[in-house]
Order: sequence, then structure tokens, then C-alpha cells
Amino acid sequence: MRQTMPVRLGAAEDTLIAQLKSVGADATAERITVAGLPTRRVESYHYTDLKTLLRAVPPLAQAANEASAPALRVPGAYQLMIANGVIQSASTAPAGIIVGKADGGVLSTRDDILVHLNGALAKDSLTLTLESSVDPVIQIDRRIEGEAAHAADSLKVFVADGASATILETFSGSDAAHVGNHATYVALGKNAVLTHITVDLSARATSHFATNEYHLAEGAKLRTLVIHAGAGLSRTQLFPRYEGAGAHGDITGLNLVSDGQHADITMDATHAVPGTSSQPLFKSIARGRGKAVVQGKLVVARDAQKTDAKFMHQGLMLSDEAEILSKPELEIYADDVVCGHGSTCGKLDEDSLFYLMSRGIPQEEAETMLVRGFLEELVDPIEDAALAEALHGVIDGWLLGK
Amino acid sequence: MTTPILEIRNLHARIEDREILKGVNLIIPPGEVHAVMGRNGSGKSTLSYVLAGKEDYEITEGEVLLDGENLLDMDPSERAAAGLFLAFQYPIEIPGVATMTFLKAAMNAQRKARGEGELSTPDFMRAVKTAGTDLHIDTEMLKRPLNVGFSGGEKKRAEVLQMALLQPKMCILDETDSGLDIDALQVVSKGVNALRAANRSMLVITHYQRLLNHIVPDVVHVFSDGRIVESGDKDLALQLEAKGYADFDGAAA
Repeated sequence: MRQTMPVRLGAAEDTLIAQLKSVGADATAERITVAGLPTRRVESYHYTDLKTLLRAVPPLAQAANEASAPALRVPGAYQLMIANGVIQSASTAPAGIIVGKADGGVLSTRDDILVHLNGALAKDSLTLTLESSVDPVIQIDRRIEGEAAHAADSLKVFVADGASATILETFSGSDAAHVGNHATYVALGKNAVLTHITVDLSARATSHFATNEYHLAEGAKLRTLVIHAGAGLSRTQLFPRYEGAGAHGDITGLNLVSDGQHADITMDATHAVPGTSSQPLFKSIARGRGKAVVQGKLVVARDAQKTDAKFMHQGLMLSDEAEILSKPELEIYADDVVCGHGSTCGKLDEDSLFYLMSRGIPQEEAETMLVRGFLEELVDPIEDAALAEALHGVIDGWLLGK
Repeated sequence: MTTPILEIRNLHARIEDREILKGVNLIIPPGEVHAVMGRNGSGKSTLSYVLAGKEDYEITEGEVLLDGENLLDMDPSERAAAGLFLAFQYPIEIPGVATMTFLKAAMNAQRKARGEGELSTPDFMRAVKTAGTDLHIDTEMLKRPLNVGFSGGEKKRAEVLQMALLQPKMCILDETDSGLDIDALQVVSKGVNALRAANRSMLVITHYQRLLNHIVPDVVHVFSDGRIVESGDKDLALQLEAKGYADFDGAAA
């Protein structure tokens, strides 16, 4: 529908417009002036109405003077850090990794306000070229420190043909009302294998936005795991594109929300050529009045025959007031494909709980075992034992917290 | 007189508006094995669930003592720690929880409830290995998620393994023979018989006499319409097998 009246702009939008103009991003500023932040009437933001949820935007981030301890330690990992949007100098990279910097943002242009904001505000991007297989986990520690700040940063990863690696991104920082806008662009060469894990451990006051764009060449294999376990408001957008025959994505994610939190994983995947496959699997656990959203769209191009793609979202409600929202979408232009979607939502199974308790396991411990069991499918495929243990730690930390 | 391991007095229970147990009386002294036989729908399985503490049932009258303690005041985990064990007719599959992890959690939870220290990993592994050998359970099976993809026989053997590890005072076996072929039935029965002891009692619930050839009971009770209508020695089971339940039903059809 055409906008006939100018939208009423709020404080967050006014700040964004001023910030965009200050860096010369007039086109993006104009876009917000005309349309405002997306409301529920914008389909891709239907359950995450940014105009309502994002009431204020803090000043643009300045370089950080201090850094808190890493949010997640993985023994043996090679660490790189981006603090307040500034790429920090790193120790010597292990064999196979070339670390560099490039100007500007990394994401392909698309009609999305978070993508536009990142492109306008990210000054430079950290680049990683993985020339051959890399053994240690590569950890990108992205954080926002000090007073409340609006920080944008970006990361670009090339995985060479036949190379394999595991990349962990962690998001954290000081306990302030930050707005983080993070972008990651990953290109996988032929037969490259990548495990990409992103864990939000930001403070509750923070709003966390991340956009991950993936391009998979022939035979490339990608496994992702997005974990939302920190910010009060979080949204991670996943844009995988399967561009070579035999490319496969296990796109997985997990929303862990407590009272007052809102977490959203939105995937928009494109199967662009024949013979590609994907298995998107998302889980949400909500307690209190927490709200978890998963949107999953599978687009199959006209000549992408033999695409095999199944979307699944499983929700677990730990309270009566919690909300779990699921929106699968299929947009299929080819006629010889196997595509599907499913969503389930429920409480802990009472028979299972009774069985565990009948063996002497007290109720609370039995419930924790069942929740861990529910999530194991996501952590189990991660091969690096230290990383899997760290992720179990994140999940257990959430389960034991309130 | 020694305290019975299990004493049920005038137990009434219902699910929603339907009364299922209508005054059950049963006393099992230490070391005895009692069998409860009855046709499908007579309330046998309800009795086992009510004893184990399943929430779906409302107890309207009566009491149950386990070794002198009031069982009905306890939640299912407390009942287990007090020494009650129910071998399920249909053991529940729990994806994502490794059988080994579950066994250790159960053993340690019960030890903790009794004020004992946690088992060390080597002690735990040794106990599992010893108990598993007789039941033909290898460690590969225990690495799998609890009961997930187990065959009928594997599920029942896993139940008996848990019983052997948890060393309960009172074992209730609910239709343990269902889903078992002859060979599996022998392995399972042998495992159960090995657990017979002077300080441990058992309640074997079944509707076939077959199981009682393997696990020979001291007393047989006939269950009908929510209560015990007849008790006798093991020959009662043979009579039942020969004549059917009709003779014992108050309102025989």
C-alpha cells in the first residue's frame, strides 16, 4: 500500500536519522524519514515490531577504553575482538588464516532496515580468509563496552575450496542499554565445510541485532547455530544462499527467553540452483512472559529442481504466559522439489517427567534433564568438544537463572 | 510381627469421575513375591501407577504404607528414594538424555535423598557393568538415548537393570512380560529372580500365567473391578489359566 501521509517518527527514529546524516548516509536517513522503523505491517517484522520495541537509540559508539572479561571461554580457541565497532589488533593467526581489514560494510543490499543501518554505520570490516582447514575454533568476540552506545560492526569470511573451520561469534559487553547491529558475510568455496555459531550473551538492557549472509558454492556444507541467551530484545537474520549443486545447510538456532525478553530468529533462504538441500531446525524455550519468534522462509528458484529442504521449529513453553510464534513460508518456483515445514509447541511431557521422578530424580532436576534432552539435537552435532561444553554451559546457565 | 514392606488398606482411587480402585487391601511381608492377575481394564495398572505416585489419579480413601512410612504423602521421586520401584509396562522414550547419564542421575539422587555421598565414576561404571552383564546389556546400548529405539526386549531389560542398580525394597512389575518373546522373557525373569531377597518384596502384575512359570510367586491375587476378589498360592494362577476370569468376577458376564 502506498504511504499517503508521512509517518509519525519517534525518538529512536529521530536519533537514527541524525546519526545517519552525521556519517553522510543520506539515502538511509531519508528512508527512515519516509517509512519509519518497520511495524507489524511489514511482513518480515510482523512479530518483531521495531517501532514499538525499540524506543530509544543511544549515541554512536566511541572506541572503548576497557573491556570486560570474554563472555565465553573456549579452551584452545584463537580469539579476535571487535569492541565498539573497532577491530582490535590480534595475536599471530594460526596456520591457514589470513586476518585483514576492509572498508565499509559487508552485506549485499536488500530491503531491510537492519541491513541498511549496518551498511551505513559500519566503518570497516574484519576479514578472515581461511586458505586451508583450520583446527582451533576461531572466536570473534564482538562487544559493546562503556556507556550505552549504538555500535555497528562487520565481519567477512572466505572459506577456500575444500577448507574446513569452526567459527564462534560471541556478543557481549557492559551492562548498558546498547544497540548492537552486527553483520557477518560468509562465502564458502567448493566443498568447504563450516560450522558457524553465534551466541548472544549481551546484558538484558541491550538490544542485539545480527544479520548473517551465507553463500555456498558446489558441495559446500554449512552448519549454523544461533543462540539468543542475553539481550532483552534480539533478532538474528539468516540469509543463506545455495548457489552450487550439492550445497547443504543445517541452519539451526535457539531462542532462550525469560520474562520480558523478546528473541527473534528470521531465516530467508534461497535455493538458487538444482540439487541443493537444507535442514533448518530451530527451537525456542520461553518462560515467564517471554516471547520467542522464528520465521523461516524457503525460496526455491525456477530452475532449482531436486531441492530438498525442510524447515522445523519446536517450541517448549515453561509457563502459561510465555509466547512462542512460528511463521514458516515456502516460495517455490520449481516443480520437482521436496520441501516442507513443521512447527510444534508444547509443555514438558508429563509422562517423561513422571518416569524420571519414579526413579528418584527430584522434579526440578528431572525438568532440567528433559529440557537439556530437548536441546541436545542442536549441540550434539558440534564436533569440537571444548566448544560443545561451553555451549552446554550457556544453556545450563540459562536454565539455572530466572 | 515384622513390618510388612507394603501395606495397602482400603485404597480407593479415581480418574476424573470414574472410580477405578474400589477398596484394595493387600499386605506383602518382606521377601515375598505376590502376583496380581486380572483381565484388561480391571484396574491392575492403575494400582501400579497410584502406588508410584502418578498425578492423574485422585486418592479418595485409604492408605498405603511402605515399610511403615506413609507413601501417599510423598511425590514420585520421594517414593523411589524410600525404596519403591515400578518397572513400567511401556517404558518412556526420552530423546536427548543418554541412558548412562540418566542411570547416574537416578542413583545419585536416591543416595543424596538418603544422606549418602555421590558415587564415583569408576564405582558407577563397575556397578553398571556387573548388573548389565547378566541382562546382556552392553555399554553401547547405554550410550543411546534412554529407551529411544530400544526393542521391546531391550526396554524391559533396561527396566530390570535400573531395578538392580537402585536396589529397591519394593518392586512393582507392571506387565513385564508384554512385548517379550520366550528368550527375552527368560533373560528378564532370570534378572528379576536374581533380585529376590529376604528384605525385598515384589508385586508382579500380569494377565498371563506364563510369566509366573518363570517368576514363581508366593501368593496370587485375583483382581477384578478395582479390588482383590480372591487370594491363594501359585496354583490359583493355574486355575485362572484353565477356567478364565469369569468364575472370579462378582458380576460374571
